[in-house]
Amino acid sequence: MSKFTREELTVDGIKTVVHTAGKGEPLVLFHGGGTVDGFEFAEPWADKFRVIVPYHPGFGESGDDPTFTDIHDYVMYYLEFFDAMKIDAMSVVGMSMGGYLATKLAVEHGNRINKLVLIAPYGLDIPEHRTADIIAIPGEQVVPMLVSNFDTLKKDLPERPDADFIGARYREATTFARLFWEHPTDSKFPRYLHRVKMPTLIVWGEDDKLIPVQHAQTWRKLIPNSEVVVIKGGGHIVQRDKPEVIEVIGRFLSGSR
Amino acid sequence: MPLRFNMMHFMPYVHLPENHKDFKTTWVTFPNKFYDPEKGYELYQRYFEQLVLADRLGFDAIVLNEHHNTVYSMMATPNVVAAALIPQTRTARICVWGVPPNFMLPNRLAEEYAILDVMSKGRLEIAFPLGTGMEYWSNPVSPVTARERFRESLKIMLQAWTADGPTTHYGKFYTYRFLNPWPRPYQKPHPPCYIVGSGSPETIDIAAELGFGYSCVFVPQKIAQELNQKLRDRAAHYGHTIRPDQLPLLNFVYVAETQEQAEHEFIDHLQRFFEDYARSTPQWLAPPGYLSVEQLKIRSAGADKMHGGFDFKAISESFFIAVGTPEKVANQIGEWTARMGTNHINSVLHVADMPHWKAVKNISLFAEEVIPRLRRSGGAQ
Repeated sequence: MSKFTREELTVDGIKTVVHTAGKGEPLVLFHGGGTVDGFEFAEPWADKFRVIVPYHPGFGESGDDPTFTDIHDYVMYYLEFFDAMKIDAMSVVGMSMGGYLATKLAVEHGNRINKLVLIAPYGLDIPEHRTADIIAIPGEQVVPMLVSNFDTLKKDLPERPDADFIGARYREATTFARLFWEHPTDSKFPRYLHRVKMPTLIVWGEDDKLIPVQHAQTWRKLIPNSEVVVIKGGGHIVQRDKPEVIEVIGRFLSGSR
Repeated sequence: MPLRFNMMHFMPYVHLPENHKDFKTTWVTFPNKFYDPEKGYELYQRYFEQLVLADRLGFDAIVLNEHHNTVYSMMATPNVVAAALIPQTRTARICVWGVPPNFMLPNRLAEEYAILDVMSKGRLEIAFPLGTGMEYWSNPVSPVTARERFRESLKIMLQAWTADGPTTHYGKFYTYRFLNPWPRPYQKPHPPCYIVGSGSPETIDIAAELGFGYSCVFVPQKIAQELNQKLRDRAAHYGHTIRPDQLPLLNFVYVAETQEQAEHEFIDHLQRFFEDYARSTPQWLAPPGYLSVEQLKIRSAGADKMHGGFDFKAISESFFIAVGTPEKVANQIGEWTARMGTNHINSVLHVADMPHWKAVKNISLFAEEVIPRLRRSGGAQ
């Protein structure tokens, strides 16, 4: 039985589906560029936080907004979402593309964020350790690259994807391509990372096949008050391979600062 | 209305390596180390001869198009090819069907087409394709906003041709402070225009709104017929009447002395066209955002006969393919024109690795034995 409660609301004209659990300080979880993995892993955090997991526009159960063309549109959207959810200050956990979004939010509205957790965040272009171009790789090849041990993910995927599943993935790929087809990364993004001043935990699976673990140290150098945890045997969706990382993140979030 | 006959050429690069079947696709990522420019030179000579022959033998038009990163076509920039053909041909209309506007600056494409139209004393015809999915993997333009960008490009080009410059354009994708291209097209207000596509409702609606012709390519006969009707209906909605000549019918033809000989000489090449030259992947065909989710679901559910897999009988019944004696081919084409409500026959007479002699034979027999038969009978009315 899931602890999460599903809510549906309209934010800036966009149908938004959000799952929430628990009470206390708001903890917002930003998912990555696809939603096949779900978010049940976040349940343990609900013991201490009000965990809030929205589907971004263009993903999962939320509606589309074809006018969104870059990540900043999502920052603007989330300002309205926080108003609608009566969230003032919060901590944020962002995974992959959601980590990029969380960081953009922290650069621009850092005074509202208590702590930041970035799980294999997207956003830096490091030519020696290039991020896999998931737009160019066929979908059926990307999925096994999401984790270190595919068995951990495979069990929750359809054996023979039907038209609805394929359509849903195509829609999310379209949303992702809308943001990143022409400009996979923004060369000015690192320029402003020094503005991320809150305590920040950077979590990376050592076997990440999408964004190489070497990115972690660059993020640490660019974000002043940050520390890195590298998870042995973990892939890009590190909590799939190593669920114990949820507790590590929970300790960081609830520790004194 | 008299019948009109085009010869369309893809100009394939035919020297595939022996191990080419090891590659899932001959598009986008098929290594260009397999392209030998010396062989490319020889092929251009042959293909130009074939198209010039079509002009000499009385075809009304020759048709070129654009594809990238593939053996399927050696015309990544068809306007260059058109420019080379203009002085070699006399009466045939030169159809560039066409350059996807999204991969060019719109003023530059308007200029190139105007130059070709002036150079040929008004023989140019133009089609505007969105570009296949494969072209978006090969060019630095997002497929997600392709349709929007396409609309804006068309608007700019039509403005460049029809409004006295300098004019301005302040759009989402392009800003022109001084849109004032020299030269202007020879034909007024501009060369005949068509849209080509594979049946997306969005694309048909653009043709309908602008009163352009529409040619659906590589869609089954039954659907093609529905699309022609849909164009007529949608165009009427915008106050345009679609003429039969605005509905070019893409077809594959091979003519020989007997049915057996025609099949014997042709089918292997047609098979290689579908299996090898058009060998693509679902990913290449539908980059993210290129199709609506609904269209993607429809297309992923239906078998795609065009890209890979070959059954001659099934393919001949599904697409517009006529193989046989002049009489049989003429009857077949006559039947198509009647059913499709067109008088505009756009025939591919060279496919895949067809040798020069077969292409010359096919073009000659078509010109001398098929076209006169159809002209005498008047085709569809």
